[in-house]
Amino acid sequence: MTPDRHGSAVIEFPSDLEIVTVRKFDAPIELVFDVLTKPEHVSKWFAPFTDVVTECSIDLRVGGKYHIVLVTEDGTECSFRGTYLEVEPPIRTVATWLFEGWPDAHAVDSVDLHETDGVTTMTTKLAFRDQAGRDHMTKFDGQEDGFNKMEDYLRSLLEKKGSASA
Amino acid sequence: MIGPVARSPATADVFNAIAEAHRREILDALIPGEKAVGTIVNDLSMSQPQVSKHLRVLSEVGLVSCRAEGRRRLYRLEPARLRPMHEWLGKHEQALNDRLDRMDDYLKRLQGGGDDA
Repeated sequence: MTPDRHGSAVIEFPSDLEIVTVRKFDAPIELVFDVLTKPEHVSKWFAPFTDVVTECSIDLRVGGKYHIVLVTEDGTECSFRGTYLEVEPPIRTVATWLFEGWPDAHAVDSVDLHETDGVTTMTTKLAFRDQAGRDHMTKFDGQEDGFNKMEDYLRSLLEKKGSASA
Repeated sequence: MIGPVARSPATADVFNAIAEAHRREILDALIPGEKAVGTIVNDLSMSQPQVSKHLRVLSEVGLVSCRAEGRRRLYRLEPARLRPMHEWLGKHEQALNDRLDRMDDYLKRLQGGGDDA
């Protein structure tokens, strides 16, 4: 029996511009790498069941492009695209990341895999490149100074004032 | 790996209010309790007009409230107004976890743990 790892992702915000996620999978590193980088796999898990993946193309080589489009239940189209900067199967990919809803929020998405005793740990880092991306995140999501500070700060406010009964 | 999470428009003002570093400092300064404008000015080495301007923005979105005591105006934190933001952060974390959980389930199916591979 493998452990139930649902909900176990550790999400951290090491700087104002970075979001790091760590998650373990009970699978060999090669399979995890394929599931992350082959369209026939990505199209099966990337979107929630209520959404439909309408495009999933991945040209896995340095300079190659990927493009994933999904349509949500209410008809909203979400399009992610980017270009691979580093491809090192099965341990690492680095690619640019552009979500069309945030046209200025250029980011670099890196994925690192490491296998120990049949358990593969995936570390992803989404790093917004510059002020433009950061400003865009602010405009749409209020993340100007990074979630870590904000979340600590929210927690401190909510705990100290004990106002959970909003 | 990370997608957008819809946010209700009603919370946008709170998000914008809190996006400014000085306004967060003012909110921090009010954690211990109610304070007069002058006390906040002393605590934070910001000018009085600056503090007043930020307090006005914070009042408009309901993050602070104000009462008069004699000639002084005392400001206090209204942390309940932060709840929508707290919930939004939780939702973002949830969306990310859900995607990774789907990947986990899919990997299990591929490895023969189910009938849907």
